[in-house]
Amino acid sequence: MHAFINFIMGPMVWISFLIFFLGVIFRLYKMFRLVNKTENFIYSYMSWKYSLRSIFAWLTPFLPVSTRKRPVFWGVSYVFHVLLFLLPIFLLSHVVLFEESMQWSWFSLSDSVADILTIFVILALIFFAIRRITIPEVKFLTRMSDFLFILIAALPFITGFLAYHQFFAYQYLLIAHVISGELMLILIPFTRFFHMFMAPFTRAYMGSEFGNVRHAKDW
Amino acid sequence: MKLKKCIYIVITILFVTAFYTYSQEDSHPTIDNTVFENPQRTQALFDHDSHNEKAELEDDCSICHHVYENKKLIKDESSEDSLCSECHFLKATPENSVPLRMAFHNRCKECHFESNKGPVLCGECHIRK
Ligand code: HEC
Ligand code: HEC
Ligand code: HEC
Ligand code: HEC
Repeated sequence: MHAFINFIMGPMVWISFLIFFLGVIFRLYKMFRLVNKTENFIYSYMSWKYSLRSIFAWLTPFLPVSTRKRPVFWGVSYVFHVLLFLLPIFLLSHVVLFEESMQWSWFSLSDSVADILTIFVILALIFFAIRRITIPEVKFLTRMSDFLFILIAALPFITGFLAYHQFFAYQYLLIAHVISGELMLILIPFTRFFHMFMAPFTRAYMGSEFGNVRHAKDW
Repeated sequence: MKLKKCIYIVITILFVTAFYTYSQEDSHPTIDNTVFENPQRTQALFDHDSHNEKAELEDDCSICHHVYENKKLIKDESSEDSLCSECHFLKATPENSVPLRMAFHNRCKECHFESNKGPVLCGECHIRK
């Protein structure tokens, strides 16, 4: 058991990060190669000004008109996405472990604050799942895999929450937590989680086409 | 009437949980954590003498209670009359680059990993009742 725990909390963490980074670089490389091969005319209207304008418009909460039409969904979505990054990076136990292996540390959230934010993330994911079941036009576009990805994103948070509180089966829940976190990291480049890296490019393209071709805003 | 019933039920639950937690309050020996400002975890489990007996560390106190001079480990000398926090501080300093929390964690966990025995996960040492 000790050797296994040592592996998943040691080398496997770095292997996961390596796959994650190489995967991201590979996917971006493939995207640029595809664009250059088949659609390089888009460069004639790509523009930094319109690209950045669109990216910042969509990064500003409730600036785009469509986000104001569905404020609950977008409100939950904004907070969820921010927490998805902030929580793991500033979680005390992650900082403690990082410091012990790299002699380097940074600000961390207090455990009680992180605990409440974790509950929010889990509720947000439940909200996204319910929305896919109840709203007809969303249900129409929903496939089984959408629920699978919600589950994969939820697992590190659910197992982390249960393990932190030591409700039951502590050792197994913590092991499940570590593995589900690594699984998510590895899956990001190769699944639809990759939208976190595609989003700026999508916005840059839309912003440029709307700005330069249609002479309109895209938000 | 319904509200009253609810309040009774809530109060009963509170008392039962309070009593349950109180009676669960067993006195595991732990390592004092009051030197840490605003401790985030429960005090770590450590029954000094029984631990060292089981782990067969009684002959060499300096495995944990070591002595350093000018950053050099002094072999065959021990510091069991000092707390770790007398030399290890909350933040790394020029005299001691190993902050207190890391000093504890590295000392305890490294040996547990090496000997394939003893706790290595957060909640196995920082137990919640
Ligand atoms: C596995 C590591 C370990 C070993 C081996 C060990 N100790 Fe300790 N000891 C500790 C820790 C940890 C503390 C708590 C220190 C603190 O709170 O800063 C402690 C505290 C003490 C204290 C109380 C210190 C004080 O000022 O309150 C004494 C006395 C002591 N140990 C004696 C010994 C003796 C004698 C031996 C050898 C037979 C020994 N220890 C071996 C880890 C160890
Ligand atoms: C007399 C002062 C002193 C006491 C008491 C002391 N240490 Fe240290 N310790 C040092 C110094 C100095 C270093 C070296 C720091 C450096 O390299 O900058 C050190 C290094 C360490 C290291 C890293 C090197 C190694 O041996 O793995 C650990 C871990 C450690 N101490 C744990 C502890 C623990 C646990 C206690 C209490 C049981 C303790 N120390 C008590 C002075 C002390
Ligand atoms: C030099 C090796 C070594 C060091 C250092 C060490 N341990 Fe252990 N520890 C062991 C071994 C071996 C066991 C398993 C004992 C057994 O049950 O056979 C153990 C078991 C334990 C247990 C399980 C309960 C018990 O007492 O058997 C706890 C809790 C524990 N260690 C806490 C600590 C803490 C806290 C520290 C740091 C202050 C520490 N240990 C440092 C070797 C070590
Ligand atoms: C082998 C036992 C052991 C394990 C495993 C362990 N700790 Fe500790 N930890 C200690 C000891 C000993 C101290 C110092 C004395 C105390 O807190 O009682 C400590 C102190 C701390 C402190 C500083 C005091 C506080 O409560 O704020 C934090 C934070 C902490 N540990 C977090 C963690 C986290 C997070 C993990 C898992 C990644 C972890 N510990 C795993 C033994 C352990």
